[in-house]
Amino acid sequence: MATEYVDAGQAVGNSTLSTIVGIAPPVAKDVTYERILNARSEPQNWLTYYGAYDGQRYSPLDQINKGNVKQLAPAWAFQCGSVGLHSGKSTYSFEAAPIVVDGIMFVSGWDGWVWALDARTGELLWQYRHAIPYDVSLCCGNVNRGVAVAEGKVFVATLNAHIIALDAETGKKVWDETYGDVRAGESATVAPLVVKDMVIVGSSGGEFGVRGHLDAFKRETGERVWRTYMVPKPGEPGSETWPADGEAWARGGGNCWVTSTFDPELNLLYVGTGNPCPDFDGGVREGDNLYTDSGVAVDADSGEIRSHFQYTPHDLWDYDSTMEHILFDLDGRKLAAHFDKNGFLYILDRTNMEPVRVAPFVDRIDWGEVDEKGNVTPKVYPDKEGDPVHFWPGPAGAKEWTHACYSPKTELLYAPVQDVGATATRRRREFKESIPYWGAGVAVDLEDMAGSVSALDPRTGEERWRWSNDVPMCSSLLATGGDLVFAGEPTGEFNALDASSGELLWQFQCGSGHHSSPTTYSIDGRQYIAVPTGWGAWTEGFLPGMLGAGQGSSLFVFALPEE
Amino acid sequence: MAEIAELLDRQNGATLGRMLGRGSIGEAEEGSDGRMRATIRIPEDELVFEPGILVLPHGGELELEFFNDDKNTHCAVLPCNGDYKFIWLVNHSRGTANLTLDGPGYYWYGSRTGNDEGRGLTAAIVVQGDAPPEARLDRPPQPRP
Repeated sequence: MATEYVDAGQAVGNSTLSTIVGIAPPVAKDVTYERILNARSEPQNWLTYYGAYDGQRYSPLDQINKGNVKQLAPAWAFQCGSVGLHSGKSTYSFEAAPIVVDGIMFVSGWDGWVWALDARTGELLWQYRHAIPYDVSLCCGNVNRGVAVAEGKVFVATLNAHIIALDAETGKKVWDETYGDVRAGESATVAPLVVKDMVIVGSSGGEFGVRGHLDAFKRETGERVWRTYMVPKPGEPGSETWPADGEAWARGGGNCWVTSTFDPELNLLYVGTGNPCPDFDGGVREGDNLYTDSGVAVDADSGEIRSHFQYTPHDLWDYDSTMEHILFDLDGRKLAAHFDKNGFLYILDRTNMEPVRVAPFVDRIDWGEVDEKGNVTPKVYPDKEGDPVHFWPGPAGAKEWTHACYSPKTELLYAPVQDVGATATRRRREFKESIPYWGAGVAVDLEDMAGSVSALDPRTGEERWRWSNDVPMCSSLLATGGDLVFAGEPTGEFNALDASSGELLWQFQCGSGHHSSPTTYSIDGRQYIAVPTGWGAWTEGFLPGMLGAGQGSSLFVFALPEE
Repeated sequence: MAEIAELLDRQNGATLGRMLGRGSIGEAEEGSDGRMRATIRIPEDELVFEPGILVLPHGGELELEFFNDDKNTHCAVLPCNGDYKFIWLVNHSRGTANLTLDGPGYYWYGSRTGNDEGRGLTAAIVVQGDAPPEARLDRPPQPRP
């Protein structure tokens, strides 16, 4: 007898089985390029990834200050968690910088999540989840570093290398463009940057022998505007720094997996580029390997490379230079500050990318020497096949991707510092698409490590103060007009330091380690500090001594008690 | 070895439940409208979706028709761009799910209700294809594994 089936109907969206509101106020429709240009003039908002195009991660908000920070307390928290088998196994981490527009927060998570929240209460207004294939190659964790917001849309890059635009009121997809090849080992984790009528993103996959690129799309339609490769083809400028024969250039790396900064007067994007590939086997890629490990000034309209400075020519240590270039003017000069993985702080003239000053910012550096003009003399590196070589800093660098900040009030730079070494043993291998292409076996030290928040004077490169920690500091810093520097620890503590002395003034245990970018905003005159927490991702690279620590996925928001 | 393989493929064999990634392989059919369609069944007392691996020729719109032939209640929590899709599948029920998925790559889906809260019923959707030409790297063809 035939079965008479009950009608189960149509599958419904998970969000319908929740109290999610489903719509956000139309705050984003008025976020124009002009407003983002002048983002610091509306400190109640955090309109773009770094807070402003200059990458300073500084807010003039000063309601929370040295005098009252001891009263800072949680205002609300947001949690999502992780259900079932998700992409990238369990290496997820909550790494984003929350964007806030007129009381509404837009923030992304691991595994394709994007949320709109009421920034006053934490109420979830809408959520979007891009379905991410489980088998996407992720070189450094199931993570996303944030969204961009403009003209009524929220832009996010997905792990499978799409750039998508969402309606900021509903969270529904408006357009979707693929900009990377997952079969080649490409992925995407970068927070997009809106510049003029474009949205700009870079590719991940530098451990898989891809060719790194930066892409610009029309903000309204998703139409491609330009793509710039960070490894030149034969015959192009810079190609002389790669072997003339063979295809080392085609597998050369140089990925742009961290958001650029932008100088609107010079019309230049400051793009940090990643390691050459294979990371540790330079024998198959003789030469300086431009434009890997470089700061590259790119014309925002055309994508053309205008100038560059290479921090670690012919890198043999995995010293990406993707990290931010902080733009600031000092003593009449247009400068850019860059803390490199290789352990040195570089102050550059950002009009031509010529070095002004170079200074170490971590205690232990033995991979090589760098003079005041940035010239490199390699000292310790994997060379002979099968011969283990120990060096400082390790491949996560003296500072990882997490961001430094600059306070125009104190005129100091503040950096999260990692003092940990590693051992690399060269093991040459042939290249195959989608297979990790390191050219070595690598083990980061499990012991004998340290960290700090360090304040450096950009005029001299000298350290002005240091707040020391037993383990490396692996999260972005935030400087405020309240003379505070906020810093999250791998062990879960969220700290407020005196920006002038480094004294620890306040601390809250968030329950899981920090590997994100805190931001600040205000609503009706009340200042808030927002910090995503959740330990995980590429822990084996930057702090393997805490591989066993618990994971998490909570966004904490702090404020002073209401009177 | 064949005996062990068989025991890995069913409830209360070598393992408590079927190992991930096992079961039969099915293919979605593509209609003239470009939509792909397939049928998924939950057979009696096996605690699995069949086929265990559903293969799509490329990313896009997929319409799944579910039949629960089991004497117990299950559900399906499915990947879809925008939001997970949920369908409750009581004993002897049928329903549909419309999904949008990228390719290439594969996705897991499962049941999380009806005493499936542990390992659940778990199956895979495999999407073939390549990134579009404009997204690929400008370089000569490279060796693949």
